[in-house]
Amino acid sequence: MGQRDIVSYETSVRRKSRIRTASTMCRVDVECAVKGPEQHGNAIPSSRYMVGRGVKRKLSDCEDQMLDLPYPQQRQLVLDLCLDKLQSCQRRAEPSLHRSVLLANTLRQIQREMRQEGGPHPESSPPAPATPRHSPDLPPVPSDRPSTPVAALSSSLLCDDAQSTCTELPKGPGSEDGGKSPDLMFGSFEITNSTSYLTDLQLDDIFEDIDTSMYDPSDFSVLACPPPRGSSGASLGNDYNLKAFSTCTTSSSTLQMCLNDLDHIMEILVRS
Amino acid sequence: MAGAGGGGNDVQWCFSQVKGAIDDDVAEADIISTVEFNHSGELLATGDKGGRVVIFQQELESKNQPQCRGEYNVYSTFQSHEPEFDYLKSLEIEEKINKIRWLPQKNAAQFLLSTNDKTIKLWKISERDKRPEGYNLKEEDGRYRDPTTVTTLRVPVFHPMDLMVEASPRRVFANAHTYHINSISVNSDCETYLSADDLRINLWNLEITDRSFNIVDIKPANMEELTEVITAAEFHPNQCNTFVYSSSKGTIRLCDMRASALCDQHSKLFEEPEDPSNRSFFSEIISSISDVKFSHSGRYMMTRDYLTVKIWDLNMESRPVETYQVHEYLRSKLCSLYENDCIFDKFECCWNGNDSVVMTGSYNNFFRMFDRGYRQDVTLEASRESSKPRSVLKPRKVCTGGKRKKDEISVDSLDFNKKILHTAWHPQDNIIAVATTNNLYIFQDRLTSIQ
Repeated sequence: MGQRDIVSYETSVRRKSRIRTASTMCRVDVECAVKGPEQHGNAIPSSRYMVGRGVKRKLSDCEDQMLDLPYPQQRQLVLDLCLDKLQSCQRRAEPSLHRSVLLANTLRQIQREMRQEGGPHPESSPPAPATPRHSPDLPPVPSDRPSTPVAALSSSLLCDDAQSTCTELPKGPGSEDGGKSPDLMFGSFEITNSTSYLTDLQLDDIFEDIDTSMYDPSDFSVLACPPPRGSSGASLGNDYNLKAFSTCTTSSSTLQMCLNDLDHIMEILVRS
Repeated sequence: MAGAGGGGNDVQWCFSQVKGAIDDDVAEADIISTVEFNHSGELLATGDKGGRVVIFQQELESKNQPQCRGEYNVYSTFQSHEPEFDYLKSLEIEEKINKIRWLPQKNAAQFLLSTNDKTIKLWKISERDKRPEGYNLKEEDGRYRDPTTVTTLRVPVFHPMDLMVEASPRRVFANAHTYHINSISVNSDCETYLSADDLRINLWNLEITDRSFNIVDIKPANMEELTEVITAAEFHPNQCNTFVYSSSKGTIRLCDMRASALCDQHSKLFEEPEDPSNRSFFSEIISSISDVKFSHSGRYMMTRDYLTVKIWDLNMESRPVETYQVHEYLRSKLCSLYENDCIFDKFECCWNGNDSVVMTGSYNNFFRMFDRGYRQDVTLEASRESSKPRSVLKPRKVCTGGKRKKDEISVDSLDFNKKILHTAWHPQDNIIAVATTNNLYIFQDRLTSIQ
């Protein structure tokens, strides 16, 4: 109590963990991860950033160089970052729905563009993609295939792949691709189709600690049934669909599924 | 040197005080997460990541130093929220104080609402400077006397004591939010308040804790269709039926509670058409509104997105009436800022007392003020280096290209770890509180001496 200034709050501090620096390295930058956070000084982190495989650049020059890149490569860069952040979203101690939604929207936008171009052709695409900025203001029903942040990974890229064996969803609006809609939504993910990819893939360094033996699809039936829309009145939490966004569930199976999607995507990207 | 300020272009901002630990070793619990003046400006509350609230009180002006307004000294410190564990989802609920809002003062005590991600609490802060002495049945230390030993009676008398400030939780508003609470706002009727999370807004009565009304719900039936979240919400300062909420897509919706019980249909939608020449992969992310604040008059509202501050006239939905660039030089750095997550930083903004100047924070411990009338802006820095008492702050400048002049700082030298997210302006005077990561700076304008 009293009227004196407090110079230090040290005595009443409850937890003294080190501040996580804002310049957390991008996980794609494996080299950075090895070095740890102390290399980040005051400037925009000068960590080197990997584009594709084996290409390194200084981040401080990243902007200028990025703008010099052909548009498809710029887009690929952003796509890689997006995938990586979405993956790390699952692991964060403080998951943020806001952040997940922004990342998912960015991802969706890029995929929409890539799909419109009909594949990874580095054609002269307009620098300003003509995607509508806002969905019509309704409960959000995007004009294209709706997708979760993780399902989005697999949607458009997979449907272009003639060898896709993903099943079509029994529910959900039709996609603008017509035909196959192999959207891997949480609810109806078919484990049997994708497990073959797991054994074929050469796992990246990032994924080598993944134990795929504990895959349990029963969790997803829970996520498949959206609870009734909340009525007005006190809204209590009991919301399984919430798992998709706002939890960082430590359940290995959900993480597995996300990483399986990522594996699949990586496989496709590397092959193409 | 002149700086932007209310009432003229000759306001000079001076350092007044700094609170918090001096060393660079920042304890995570000390990170300041919200700053708010009360309605008179006498009290200044801060919340931190450790769930504590610290309230500073302004000293009465001393006759010896008429040039100085009173200093702010610690008035009360209390632990508002504790970390919780959600067993159902295996998640820890952070005790970080997201927002503090003061209630208008009704009696001798002060009341404020503080919230973390899940729970809102109403705190009463009261003073005690007298205590009764001379009980008949109790000793001075509180033990009860044997009644048979009482031979005379006396009337207890109040004696002055050292001032004691007590903070006690009067209400706990819990279990009404599934998602993380980002805003609270007290209604002008002083009976109700709203709390907003990512997908829903609830209306509470300050007296009733076991019930709240859901007034906005943007959760889609299928969560996989979610593309937009609520980022901030506020009640109109004068009209108790009106509130606004902003979204991650850069829109603001104004709702009238008289129209229907559930305000999913907005009365007005404020949205600026996108500038196609500025389109990039990050357009949507940087359009996400991080803060919305009504002007004191209630005629305007201000929104903050990643690069700009916009002033909207409530009568015009098509575009803002004023747009101020906070740090346009970052537009070419968006990819780096996306990579290091800075692009997701949520900056707040505030009005001065007469709505003539707005302020917001930036990186490198810079903060910006925009004078709406004189069309001037200034960049100032909150740093220990410029912390000599009553020293005038020197305007800073970021060099955007070409030859860097003396005293300018280049964009690549900016420290993106030093961000000013929270600022507050005294409701009447030119006193501002600026929070760096773990320090609170108080600046005042230099009063010209009265002849």
